[in-house]
Amino acid sequence: MNGPTPAEISAQLITFCAAGMLVFQLLLIVQRMLLTNIRLFALQSFLLTSIAGIIAYFHNATHVYLVAALTLIGKVVFLPWLLDRQVRRIGISQEIEPLLNAPASMLLCGGLTLLSYIVARPFTALERLGNNTLGIAMSLVLTGFFLMFNRRKAITQVLALLTVENGVMLAAVALTTYGMPLVVELGIFFDVVVAVMVLGILVYRIRDSFASMDTSKLNQLKG
Amino acid sequence: MNLNPLAIALQTALLLLLAPLVSGLIRNWKAKLQNRRGPRIWQPYSDLLKFLRKDMVIPEHASWVFGFAPYVVFLSALLAGLMIPMLTAQAPLSLFGGVLAVVGLLALGRFFLALGGLDAGSAFGGMGSSREMTISALAEPAMMLAIFTVAIGVGSTDLSRMVQAGQGPVWKLFNPTHAMAFVALFLVLLAETGRIPVDNPATHLELTMIHEAMLLEYSGRYLALMEWGASLKQLVLMTLLANVFLPVGIAPDTSPAALGVSALALAAKLLVLAAEVVLVETTNAKLRLFRVPDLLGVAFILATLALLSTFFFG
Repeated sequence: MNGPTPAEISAQLITFCAAGMLVFQLLLIVQRMLLTNIRLFALQSFLLTSIAGIIAYFHNATHVYLVAALTLIGKVVFLPWLLDRQVRRIGISQEIEPLLNAPASMLLCGGLTLLSYIVARPFTALERLGNNTLGIAMSLVLTGFFLMFNRRKAITQVLALLTVENGVMLAAVALTTYGMPLVVELGIFFDVVVAVMVLGILVYRIRDSFASMDTSKLNQLKG
Repeated sequence: MNLNPLAIALQTALLLLLAPLVSGLIRNWKAKLQNRRGPRIWQPYSDLLKFLRKDMVIPEHASWVFGFAPYVVFLSALLAGLMIPMLTAQAPLSLFGGVLAVVGLLALGRFFLALGGLDAGSAFGGMGSSREMTISALAEPAMMLAIFTVAIGVGSTDLSRMVQAGQGPVWKLFNPTHAMAFVALFLVLLAETGRIPVDNPATHLELTMIHEAMLLEYSGRYLALMEWGASLKQLVLMTLLANVFLPVGIAPDTSPAALGVSALALAAKLLVLAAEVVLVETTNAKLRLFRVPDLLGVAFILATLALLSTFFFG
């Protein structure tokens, strides 16, 4: 038996981590506790960090280490901490009823995942890493959008945006061997961090003036 | 089919002796994690011995089913255990359809458990039985699909073949489809063994219990068989999860060295799984009964996606 090439190993590991990200995404969809949601997001981001780390290690791409480190600091530690603090400050940890109940949204997301598998199928030849990472990345984006409009609380919508961003990062990693150019990634990264901080303040303001984070109440006039 | 009496005897002994220990370990760790001292890990053995010595109280209106059920529950779990590779890659028994037979045997045990709960005619028994059947109807498809995910990769539903096929290089184990199937099967494990998000093994609160409700009328030897059967089933499912998805270190032959490594590997895998169960039990609250289908729905969708992914990632 001849040993596996590093490329094979890295492809296997990357797809494995990507599948793990999808698992966490699906768990996010059914989990209603806000704090657990945040932790699940942190775990998902950690898998993204591992993917970046694996690419950096197996393909000797030093600058990808930087991406991995930034993801680790930003998305695994800082943003979850920030959101966590905000949830505690607002003092509600329970999500109210989402628009669709859990089994229905699970089925829908299963369908979305299947759809993205099928759509990504012709592009498998384009990918240099992982077998069908693009499919998973697309399903992360789609289910992230679904998560965004299925939840009513502003803070879970922020979380959904972050998972969409995770999907985009994964797609970038899957399609280009060494990730996007560093400048672009840095740009996206700081964009997201700033966006979340702004949204965080916004959520706080919404709650202050409407006494609720329910975005479906925002269409009511306030005297 | 070749039957090896020695292998069967050894695995039977291992199953019977290890099952209460795993239950005791989980109970002990759970207590530790909740800042309680908890029962000693060999407490289940003492319980079983005590139950076996006690007289039985049999309800007046119970039929023969009441006395028959404990034996079926116990033996079906034991038989299912014999069909799973524990220490050696070749399971001592391999009957018709491998994993299908295991699932079928577990279903048979559950059927008789529910009948036993109904037979005594108490309200709680019937309630427990109906809940158990509801949950198992949801958990079983997820379990089948999750195991089929592995079976399709191997091309056989025979558990020994699955384990042997998994004994390639270590990096092959990081199979993306297996990741999803593993999570699905873990959720099924929680549901099937009556762990906290679904059922509380420590409760006798009438409105919430499921498994305990069915055992309420049992006492003495029958109760011992029921309890032992339940912990056997737990061990069988945990071994299935550990050895099918992570067939590291399982002895390919019966040399003492290989068996020793295999025993250590099995112990390590069971310890890790038990720790995971304890973590889940401690960090989660019990779900309302009507929310349980949501959890099992997740397991089902994950298993389905895993199965579909085998074609897309292949």
